[in-house]
Amino acid sequence: MSKKIGVYIFTGDGIADAIDVDKLVELATGELGCALAKTHPDLFSPEGLAMIKADCESEELNGVVVAGISPRYTFDELNIPGVYVERASLRELVAWSHEIPEDAENKDAQKEHVQELAEDYIRMAVTKVQKAEFPEPDCLEDASDKILVIGGGITGMTAALEAADAGKEVTIVEREPELGGFAAKLRKQLPLGPDFSGLQEPVVADLISKVTGNSLITVKTSIEVARIAGVPGQFRVSLKAAGTKSEWDAPVPLTEEELVDENGKELSAEDQKKKYDEKNEGRKDYMEEDPNAEIHGAVVVASGWRPYVPGDEEFTHLGWGNPDVITNVQFEELAKAGKVKRPSDGKEVKNVAFILSPGAKDDDADFPYAGAVTSLVALKQAKYVREDNPEDGKAFIFYQHMRTPGKYEYFYKGIQDDPGIFLTKGAVTEVAADGGQLKVNVENTILGEDIAVDVDLVVLSTGMVPTTKDEPVINLAYRQGPAFKDLDLFDGYCDSNFICFPYETRRTGIYAAGAVKRTMTMAESMEDAAGASLKAIQSVVAASEGRAVHPRTWDFDYPDFYFQRCTQCKRCTEECPFGALDDDEKGTPKPNPSRCRRCGTCMGACPERIIGFKDYNIDIVGSMIKAIEVPDDDDDKLRIICFACENDAYPALDMAARKGLSWSPLVRIIPVRCLGSVNVSWIKDAMSSGMDGALLLGCKYGDDYQCHFVKGSELCNLRMDNVAESLNSLGMEQERVKLLQVAIDEYDKIPEMINEFAQEVLDLGPNPFKGW
Amino acid sequence: MADTKTFQPDLGFVKGVMEAGGDTVNRCYQCATCSVVCPLSTEESPFPRKEMLWAQWGMADRIAGDADVWLCHQCGDCSTYCPRDAKPGDVLGAIRANAIKYYAQPKALADLFSNKAGVLAVVGASYIAWLIVIFLWSLYTGERFLFPEGDVKYYKLLTFIPIDALALPAAGIAAWAGYMGITAFWRDLCKGSGYVSYSGTPVKPAIGPFIFKYIIPAFQEILAHSRFEKCGQTRERVQGHKLMLYSFIILFIVTCIVFVVNDMIYVPFLGHHFTPMPLWNPIKIAANIGAVMLVAGSWMVWQMRKRKTEEGVFKSSEQDWLLIYLIFAVGVTGVAAEVIRLFNIALLAYPIYVLHLATVVTLFLSIPYSKFAHLLYRTTAYVFQLYEKDLKEGKAGWGMEKEVLPPNPEEAEKAAH
Repeated sequence: MSKKIGVYIFTGDGIADAIDVDKLVELATGELGCALAKTHPDLFSPEGLAMIKADCESEELNGVVVAGISPRYTFDELNIPGVYVERASLRELVAWSHEIPEDAENKDAQKEHVQELAEDYIRMAVTKVQKAEFPEPDCLEDASDKILVIGGGITGMTAALEAADAGKEVTIVEREPELGGFAAKLRKQLPLGPDFSGLQEPVVADLISKVTGNSLITVKTSIEVARIAGVPGQFRVSLKAAGTKSEWDAPVPLTEEELVDENGKELSAEDQKKKYDEKNEGRKDYMEEDPNAEIHGAVVVASGWRPYVPGDEEFTHLGWGNPDVITNVQFEELAKAGKVKRPSDGKEVKNVAFILSPGAKDDDADFPYAGAVTSLVALKQAKYVREDNPEDGKAFIFYQHMRTPGKYEYFYKGIQDDPGIFLTKGAVTEVAADGGQLKVNVENTILGEDIAVDVDLVVLSTGMVPTTKDEPVINLAYRQGPAFKDLDLFDGYCDSNFICFPYETRRTGIYAAGAVKRTMTMAESMEDAAGASLKAIQSVVAASEGRAVHPRTWDFDYPDFYFQRCTQCKRCTEECPFGALDDDEKGTPKPNPSRCRRCGTCMGACPERIIGFKDYNIDIVGSMIKAIEVPDDDDDKLRIICFACENDAYPALDMAARKGLSWSPLVRIIPVRCLGSVNVSWIKDAMSSGMDGALLLGCKYGDDYQCHFVKGSELCNLRMDNVAESLNSLGMEQERVKLLQVAIDEYDKIPEMINEFAQEVLDLGPNPFKGW
Repeated sequence: MADTKTFQPDLGFVKGVMEAGGDTVNRCYQCATCSVVCPLSTEESPFPRKEMLWAQWGMADRIAGDADVWLCHQCGDCSTYCPRDAKPGDVLGAIRANAIKYYAQPKALADLFSNKAGVLAVVGASYIAWLIVIFLWSLYTGERFLFPEGDVKYYKLLTFIPIDALALPAAGIAAWAGYMGITAFWRDLCKGSGYVSYSGTPVKPAIGPFIFKYIIPAFQEILAHSRFEKCGQTRERVQGHKLMLYSFIILFIVTCIVFVVNDMIYVPFLGHHFTPMPLWNPIKIAANIGAVMLVAGSWMVWQMRKRKTEEGVFKSSEQDWLLIYLIFAVGVTGVAAEVIRLFNIALLAYPIYVLHLATVVTLFLSIPYSKFAHLLYRTTAYVFQLYEKDLKEGKAGWGMEKEVLPPNPEEAEKAAH
């Protein structure tokens, strides 16, 4: 579609001082063939924006380039129906970041550099407008807004009630015969609200009666999920009796180890298929539809935790194995049953030691899967000892970390007020049977000495293992398998971006809440449940409107596949961080737009370059790269393309510019959705058009990644190996392409990173294929 | 490490501290703000932080052997700045109150003096005791019981013989109990700081250095109130306290003078009474000044404590108030007895005089048992602190010798950590 394009250039904020704007006007209307080009000293004022809108009407423009303020500042007035608007950042990426010092020697030469930079940004923006199309949302019709809650504990019940309060139908699936989970197994619970200073009677009974009395909530006990197929808004949920096998159990793909033979050689496709079928015997194919499945729009995973049970060889120095050395969960059971009695001889206990950290003097870590909750529970259970023996009961808490975050400080204080609760930091080195007693040795206490106390019972404050550690729980019938991804990386907790979008998991439409996510108190779990529930509702709305969930909530676009050229290489299906793509028997991908987060990782992965978005695809970016003018006879005017991640690197650049930091004018920056979307062909395009280097700025990857799409920057880094190979085969130095990790707050470092790379490229000299 | 000595916190001690006004003791989380803001705390021995921890863990022995508990004048700075509202000032006050009870013998008297009813009972009992003595004495003198004929002259009611007959036994009990308390405290202090002689008994300096190097300087410091004056929140309290202390000294001196002049010279040799003295007599002038100082001082301390308690700077226990009331009562009844005597109103004068005597006996008897005992233990702590410092430096004698070896260096290092 050819467009009638208008170019508007902002001359304020130092832009007109930095560059010759008239030349840009000339460029737009001349070489670039735009219908009109105007300058305005206050382009982003209501008057300036009104001028653009008026021109669009009077001149029948359907494409506009607004060159000035960074596109990260949005202006509603630029949402003009039928007009594709592209922004060029002349202020941040040109004027503010390339100020020429008054006393510079080669001022004119520098000015020329900056002018060329501005011109290239105009070229790139105009090219994009020429190529881009309007996204058409793929709305999921008949999206169900029913919410499935997995787990009927405190978290699940709260999530169900929250969703029901918002008018949504909810199904709770609970594996146990009763609702309540661990919350129903407590003598007392941690406080839920002010004044936080003491224990509280369990609220679970109240929640159960609210849930069972709510007409919008269906409770299914002794039931579990066999499989969840489909997409957000249309999940097909197959249920089964708890503990039984079902033909609708979600099939499990072969692991990496299973894909190779004993010699490490990859199995043939047939052998893989055979092995897969053996592994999943009796289970229906993941793409097969269960006619009896219940339709739900979104899922809240509130499957909670199980107690950590130490192995026989574990914690022997703490007396584990002695019947009077028990875990906090066992102690809770004893306390729930009445006055606490010793397991060994049934004697009522008066003196109890709680041990929070098992590492003796070598390691101050708490028990595995412990957290603030285990500290708080130790405080709570110490109070039980005192309730049972108000006169002479003594509870000792030996900790390396007493974690009582937020308002729980008041709880800590309230418990401390009890004269019979004795706390000290210290390393518990030994628990030894001593007559009828247990002698607990503690070193390095805050008392300034080593102490030993005789107690009747020792309680180990062991942790809360997420249920996702043991089993998939969500049992997805997805190409990538039934479970959340990379569970091992997070000790079995399902992955989530805890800071930016804490409820999103690696599976769109499926929201984790409560102790399955991390150790949480009941108050935290209930709050978390409310959040997850609302997120689940939102995701159904997003699916029916055809837009993405976090982090690109505004994005109505979705990846489009040109299947005729697909080679069934499966890269996109395997690499999608969110498991959005299923496939057919041959391996042809089957897109599920409402699972998609629009990161473009599939586009970056595709060697056939058949995946793209309407206004962000291989051709558009490739054409933008080719639009950059590359002088082929000037060794000072090398050209470097820079792909900057929109989420972190690009904002950091804006901030650097705002702070007046500057970087090399040889660099042309193209924002990308995620480094994962960078297709190798773009780098080839850059090199073949004579550019001298390519820099990729993305988020930190690895175990403690910061990538907004989890795997994008990591995958991009893997692809760099291929890039290096192909550069080498062309006889070009692989150092011409570099990926750097940058965080959003590293604006102070980013100019230096760019400049260093630019210097490296200058040192390498011009691209040997320049001008060919 | 299996041979670390098993230790059991003394739960009763913790409860005792909490009941005595230190109910916030367990909130301390050892941030040390208190020791930093305390104008009296030293770097070598930072209090009240360590006392808070010992009290939380019911380490009664540690607290007993700790002079620092008594070096605090409860200004309340620590409580004001405590980020966790643990009120270390109040806790130390509670520990002191309990220490007084702990060292008191017999304990029953300490219990009696720790509440209003008990103190009133003692005052009442003394009153009745005085009435009995007066009655018996009236049989001997032939004066009318309680209201002798003629102008009001208190010697008609009682002379030094019957007074001493009652006052001396009371003073004797107090002195004995005080001595027992101080020696027990000294023993604990020695144990607590690790200074025991080879035979395991507590150490003490030779009498000469004891008096000149430790007791006299300690007294000088107390008289000057130099530490008390460093206290931030309650600096005003110093004036009232000083007035009371000085008035006690003045009144003690004039009482001694009168005893010598009247009871040992005038009555036995001249056959008549030196008292009542005319108002111009310098001894009488001093006595009256002392009396006014006592009333004014106790009033000032009373008001100050009231205000600071209301402001929440510190808590005031019943014992705190009782001592103030009792001293105030002694002063007011004394002044009233004198004034009414001058107005010659026999019906009022004699009963009030007896009340004055009853309060005085109660006050003196209470010294080792009530809050008044801080006089004994704080002074002892001052003396011990000076002595301990010299012990550490190895010059606790006249400066020529090392009297005792410093404590086991390992122990010392551990304590420092």
